[in-house]
Amino acid sequence: MNNLSELHLDALTEVFSIGAGRAALSLSEIVGDEVRISVPSVQVLSSKDINSTTLSLNSGRFGAVSQHFSGPFNAEAVLLFTEEQALKIVSDMMGSQMNLEELAEFEHEAMCELGNIILNACLSAMADILNFTLESSLPDYTVASADDILHRLKESSNQPYVMVLHIDLTIEKRHTAGNLVFLLSSASLANLVTHVDQFLGKLS
Amino acid sequence: MDSSIKKLLIVDDSKVSRMLIRTQILAQHPEWIISEAACGEDAIAHVDNDLPDYCTMDINMPGISGTDAAAQILSRHPSIKIVIFSANIQEAQQNRAHSLGTILVAKPVTEKSIALTLNHFTASK
Amino acid sequence: MSDLSAKRFDMNDIFNTLSFGVCVVDADGRVLLWNNWIARHSGIKEADALNQPLEQVFSEPVSPAFLTALKNTLAYRLPVVLSTALHRSPLPLHNISVANQQQTRMYQSISITPIQSQLNESCCLVQVTDSSTSIKREKILRSHSEILKKEAITDSMTDVCNRRFFDAHYEMAVADAKRQKHPLSIFMIDIDFFKSYNDCYGHIAGDNAIKQVADILKSQLSRATDIIARYGGEEFVLVMPHLSQKIAEQFAEKLRSAVFNLAIPHIKSRPFNRITISIGVCTGIPENDDNLLNKADAALYQAKQKGRNRCTSLPLCETEEYLEQ
Repeated sequence: MNNLSELHLDALTEVFSIGAGRAALSLSEIVGDEVRISVPSVQVLSSKDINSTTLSLNSGRFGAVSQHFSGPFNAEAVLLFTEEQALKIVSDMMGSQMNLEELAEFEHEAMCELGNIILNACLSAMADILNFTLESSLPDYTVASADDILHRLKESSNQPYVMVLHIDLTIEKRHTAGNLVFLLSSASLANLVTHVDQFLGKLS
Repeated sequence: MDSSIKKLLIVDDSKVSRMLIRTQILAQHPEWIISEAACGEDAIAHVDNDLPDYCTMDINMPGISGTDAAAQILSRHPSIKIVIFSANIQEAQQNRAHSLGTILVAKPVTEKSIALTLNHFTASK
Repeated sequence: MSDLSAKRFDMNDIFNTLSFGVCVVDADGRVLLWNNWIARHSGIKEADALNQPLEQVFSEPVSPAFLTALKNTLAYRLPVVLSTALHRSPLPLHNISVANQQQTRMYQSISITPIQSQLNESCCLVQVTDSSTSIKREKILRSHSEILKKEAITDSMTDVCNRRFFDAHYEMAVADAKRQKHPLSIFMIDIDFFKSYNDCYGHIAGDNAIKQVADILKSQLSRATDIIARYGGEEFVLVMPHLSQKIAEQFAEKLRSAVFNLAIPHIKSRPFNRITISIGVCTGIPENDDNLLNKADAALYQAKQKGRNRCTSLPLCETEEYLEQ
């Protein structure tokens, strides 16, 4: 992990920002109103160093959308929002005529699609800019406690690195924030760094 | 083609993005003089001190947005040609960019988006 | 799939019997496979669909979001989902009506997955499920089970638990207290001079009075472990674990006072001229054949004897009772 310089992180932030922009464009077409998504920061940590502060996990339950990506870069990507935020997002996406019960029915499906849009956009931006192609599984949505999530993130011994993106999402002027977490093996992280190096190499 | 030496200001909070734009522009115009700014406020200050011919402006930066910075710069120096770069080219933003007299180009910065950029700069008004 | 399965079934049969839509398009968006389900619900036969660009197959337009999703999957080879929640009905598919009614547009849940053909062509697999049934079913199931649950345990007039629920719950609460050796308190509550209230003010007023008392008693409870049930016509019972005898007595007094302060006029209730309750409490750690409920009942009887509008507490243990007397 010492081989990740500030420039590497800058490049990754820029790549994910572009992904976020694409996702916002797709979402705005679906929602029919202005959507803004930005990625102000990217960190790479070893999974034993993450704690609840890193991911702003406090008490309560969280909605997690996950997809498995494979290719030159294998990762499980997890998009995390508090359940309260997830319901608000679903409400914003679906318009305000739904009552709380109806929203809860749609939460699972709508969050899967939201996660799918954001994850795919980020990954396709990486593929375009860093020059590789990936395969992915369909998205999966679960609701879990902060403890369960931390446990899952720290548990995978074959994925000891975690890339954490803070995500700011604004739909119809209502702002919410979440985190996008990539669980990476050391080989995957090394491959990712190699691709970023190649990209940066072309710049100098 | 206009081959006189031009001054270009690249405005983007991402160092990598600025490097990318610089590299691509210099590939086409190695003689141009390029300066950089990391946010809208710095760009405005720079322009007041050292007027460039052209400017590329990222939208999403800390501090004021790229479109606001562009609007301020153009109100003081209407001769500058500005291209706004954005990963999210929604209609509202397209309209705003056009009404300022700038164009909006999609990121990532590719040969295509640079070509569009250069076109806008070198086209006669 | 094993060789045996492959020879045993004609995959075509399976493909056309599936109860969801499957179609495959090539890199240009032309239809290569079109199953029976999608043919039936679109009204477009396989022969008419094959080799046509998907958006031109239908007689009505396909949603722009679907076309974008398809384009993205073909370009980036990443799977995409289109939820019912956000898209409702991206493809022109209809529910098949039984009678001669207007065909309704189907709510759909769609996924688009990249897939390679045996000739190594980059294609997309589109799967469509009818989500209107699952939405409706979920709605019905959810409200059904909620209604059933509520009916089974609630007293319809007062909205507190009913006697049937209490009987089961009481047994469990006693068993828990025995096993874990923690104290349990039972409060038996009776509205004073209720029969004469009914006689004097009428049954409707009587029912209202019971409801008001039930509400105010219920509002005093906050822990999930505490239960209030309607034991009989104008009788209530409370089950509360983990209270000391002293705290239980203080709590009983709080209940009595709350009802007193409702100030529901009752001219036949001398000397207070308002609705009051009598409470019998028993607190203890049950062992063997101890009967908290009986003791609470006995305490209630004593409260009545001593003049009503009061709480009386009896300990569970016989010895102590003997000492008290």
